[in-house]
Amino acid sequence: MRLTSITGTALAAAMVLSTTLSGTSLASAEEKPESLNVGVFTFMSGPAAAYGMPGRQGAEIMIEQINAAGGIGGVPIKASFVDEAQGAQGVISEYRRLAEAPDTDFMIAALSSGNCLALAPIADQMKMPTVGWNCDTHQLFKDGAHPYFFRPNGNTVAEFMSYVLYFLDKNPNVRRVAIINPDYSFGHDAAEIVKATLAALNPGVKVVAELYPKLGASSYQTEISRLSAARPDVIFSNLWGGDLENFVRQANPRGLFRQSQAVFALGESSMQNVEMPQGAIVGVLGDGWWRSPDAAKRGAPAFGAAYKAKFGQDPVFPAMKMANSFVVMKAAYEKAIAKNGGEWPSKDQVRDALEGLSIDTLTGHVTIRPDHDGIVDQIVGTVTKVDGIDAPVLGSMVRYSGDKVLPPAGDDPVAWISSLTPYFPKDMPKPGSYR
Amino acid sequence: MNRSSLALLAAALLIAGLAPLAFPFLQFVLTIALAKGFAALGVALLLRAGLISLGHAMFYAVGAYAAAFLAKSLGFTDMMGLIVAATIVSGLCGLLVGLFLVRYRAIFFAMLNLAVSMVVFALLSKLYGLTGGTDGMAVAVPTLFGLTLTKEGSDTVLFYLALVLAAGLGLVVHRYLKSPLGHALSAVHSNEVRLEYLGVSAASTLLTAYTISATLAGLGGAIAALSIGHVLPEFAFWTQSGQLVLTAVLGGISGIAGPFLGAAFLEGVHTLAVGTVADAWNLIVGAVLLVVIFFLPRGLFGLIEKIAGRKTQAGETEL
Amino acid sequence: MLQTLIPLFVDALASAALIFFVAVGLTLVFSVLRVLNVAHGSFYSIGAYAAASLGLWIVSAGLPDWLTFPALVLSAAFVALLFGPLVENTLVRWTYGKSDAVQVLVTFGLFLILEDLQKMVFGVQSLYQDTPMSMLGITELGGIVYLNYQLLLIVLAGVVLVALRLFIGHSRTGRLIAAVVADREVSQALGIDTNRMYTIAFTLGVFLAALGGAMATPTSGVSPGLGADTMVLAFAVAAIGGLGQVEGAAIASLIVAVAKVLAIYFAPEFDAVAPYVVMLAVLLVKPYGLFGSPTTRRI
Repeated sequence: MRLTSITGTALAAAMVLSTTLSGTSLASAEEKPESLNVGVFTFMSGPAAAYGMPGRQGAEIMIEQINAAGGIGGVPIKASFVDEAQGAQGVISEYRRLAEAPDTDFMIAALSSGNCLALAPIADQMKMPTVGWNCDTHQLFKDGAHPYFFRPNGNTVAEFMSYVLYFLDKNPNVRRVAIINPDYSFGHDAAEIVKATLAALNPGVKVVAELYPKLGASSYQTEISRLSAARPDVIFSNLWGGDLENFVRQANPRGLFRQSQAVFALGESSMQNVEMPQGAIVGVLGDGWWRSPDAAKRGAPAFGAAYKAKFGQDPVFPAMKMANSFVVMKAAYEKAIAKNGGEWPSKDQVRDALEGLSIDTLTGHVTIRPDHDGIVDQIVGTVTKVDGIDAPVLGSMVRYSGDKVLPPAGDDPVAWISSLTPYFPKDMPKPGSYR
Repeated sequence: MNRSSLALLAAALLIAGLAPLAFPFLQFVLTIALAKGFAALGVALLLRAGLISLGHAMFYAVGAYAAAFLAKSLGFTDMMGLIVAATIVSGLCGLLVGLFLVRYRAIFFAMLNLAVSMVVFALLSKLYGLTGGTDGMAVAVPTLFGLTLTKEGSDTVLFYLALVLAAGLGLVVHRYLKSPLGHALSAVHSNEVRLEYLGVSAASTLLTAYTISATLAGLGGAIAALSIGHVLPEFAFWTQSGQLVLTAVLGGISGIAGPFLGAAFLEGVHTLAVGTVADAWNLIVGAVLLVVIFFLPRGLFGLIEKIAGRKTQAGETEL
Repeated sequence: MLQTLIPLFVDALASAALIFFVAVGLTLVFSVLRVLNVAHGSFYSIGAYAAASLGLWIVSAGLPDWLTFPALVLSAAFVALLFGPLVENTLVRWTYGKSDAVQVLVTFGLFLILEDLQKMVFGVQSLYQDTPMSMLGITELGGIVYLNYQLLLIVLAGVVLVALRLFIGHSRTGRLIAAVVADREVSQALGIDTNRMYTIAFTLGVFLAALGGAMATPTSGVSPGLGADTMVLAFAVAAIGGLGQVEGAAIASLIVAVAKVLAIYFAPEFDAVAPYVVMLAVLLVKPYGLFGSPTTRRI
């Protein structure tokens, strides 16, 4: 009896241990590590991969380029990619698992606003310096500071206000606006901002339909009927990736865009994959249009060429946002190393270095404010074809200065928008002014 | 419960309790395994009565959201209080849903559970203003009897609390199964008509079991919410319910330890698989499930007992 | 009023048609085999992938565009012949006479395996193949532009319903299947090869699911996760109509579609809840569905 229970115990022990073990390695934080291990979170499967994979590919190019140039402070970057399509529960578990592994140094997470909202408090809890590479929700820093979470890539308020400024400027007679956004914080945030901006700048405009299909919906036919029946002058949407492509493919043959002006806030990332309706207002989140005049003066053309050579397509703005996140990480490490007298910095020193960072990126400039939001410019344009470039490009562009369209740190974003007056757009640059 | 089972139990608890000291990252994995173990134990109770619930993840989600709501809206942050309150809330929900559902058997029971859980799932994901929609809600680090905890501290307390609860409640459930009410549960499966002739109400037997199983699932959900620090609608999705049934069957439904063993095994394999064969995770689980059903009807726990040389299968509950 | 009612009606019919194909397959398999196939939704998405892949190949190979129409049905038939007999003869047959729990678990295991196999075979990016849709053109109804393809789907669903009824009531195989449904033992005693009937019925069920998926491709994208969503919807519809009821599935598809469309028009936040609320409401009043009863054994 004794013997059998011991066997049983040993077996149970072996099972528990063997199934839960995974590799660990020992390294002390300040010793220069063999590699700088970064957890990179993006969508690599599902419809969102149409947007998430360019992000991953952008990361691969940046890692190649940085490592070829000797890494960061002599240490090469090594990335672990995590798929956000597994759902937030899995994303959180993966983040925790990576963050608890002693050799993880830095996180670039995540694409989805929902995931960033979930990960920011965990980054604080685990004291892991983290850069949100794409998530834009203005709620991120609304309910309290996140000392370890930084977002150098733009904010929904600036982004979606810019689209309203642009389409009101182009079509002053707009009376009816319909909104179709994905059903999570990003979509609801954008709708709130668009409605608040319209109410402040042009109170005569009516929102005639608000639809929130779920992320990854395969069919939009009923929504398209509903939108047609509402007869809007403008259809605003921040659908993105496969969802946007699906929606455009299904709505195009049904004549929806002959009836209404389309505004696709994340349209640039899909215009190589699907034929955008004539004259659709599209743009990027932030300043990540790699062919913009400012980008041409910086590292974007070299990055774009390497990207095209490796992946056969031009980079889209998610790739630029990811690349810029690596630029920010590299700058933070270099700043921390310099401050540390050339020694390898601890995670906390890297975190400190991110505070107030103000640097040139591949497509423009970013300044990290005390609330950890980055000030970046906003580019909006219209889908156009030009001679000499196969792919569609942005025409009649405008570049809104980041500090003009971002609410002051600490202000309630929607209250700030509501405080604007119809005279606010007078000082803004006109569509077509950015060449 | 004989001496060797107790020794086995004590040893398993000891190993689980010591593992995080040697490998800190195991603590999170094991906490989640314990949380899912509670829910799977709830599912296993119903399986003993021959009832398969394809919606039990809803109670897991109710427990998790109850903890999140109490912490966020009422500012009530005590760990013990949150767990107790969330468990009671899900128990009450179980009682309420059970009142309607214990009338049904077989596939209709499975489908009605599925339907209720999908309503819960859809409401959680659609009532954006209330539940945070598909973003879910963050759960702040709890306090403990008025003390402020760090996240590490809270995680450690939570883990050992979950372990103690698993042992304690495990014994309680064990007692329940050995009681007349527990035996009546198996009798619902083997011969419901005879049970009624004996003067035992199948409906009240099942309602008791259903409420207990919902309570256990809610407890698991509350622990998961505090451990993960975030709650999400997908906690209630039907595939999650399927995973709970799978966990129970994988571990073995005849004993208390089975579901916990199944959960630890699955979470462990998952941790390994994510780094190596992330794309094939469902495939592995599906294949393991088929192998267990075809070749190991008594689950992993049965396998351990068999290897340990104890064979007490006579009269045991099977699927 | 008419301005709203017409699009509402057309939208409801068009989405009911797609739901019907899957739900009727599920209900048919249940009525004959008494097995609720949790992997049924996977056959829907495999059918969709197969149809989209074949269509894309036809277009890229420079073959005539009209070939994409027969390709929809052919790919569904291919999926049915590939998976139907194989799955029924191995996994499903093993569960006959076993408890519901075992049946559900075995098909759930199959569902998990098929989900990942699809990702491995077809990749994770969305597929689009809308040639049939663009070939058919558009029609304006009540001031709203509809695709003729959507209208074709409505007709096709009606044709499938009638064909199924004729097959079961008037063909030799159909009547043998009906006999098996009515009484397994007696049918066997009379010399009916019940195993063969099971294989035929299961394969027919897989075909209907795959056909639903294939027919959906011209108006929607195909991406991972389609199977899981479709599965619960098919469950809901089959349960509302009464498990095992072919006409029940048709009417239930329409009810669910109307509920969904009404939600999108008037309370968009509830579109995902609508089918399940209807299901609960129906099952609480009529536990075995609108047309089912615990003892009925008819199809």
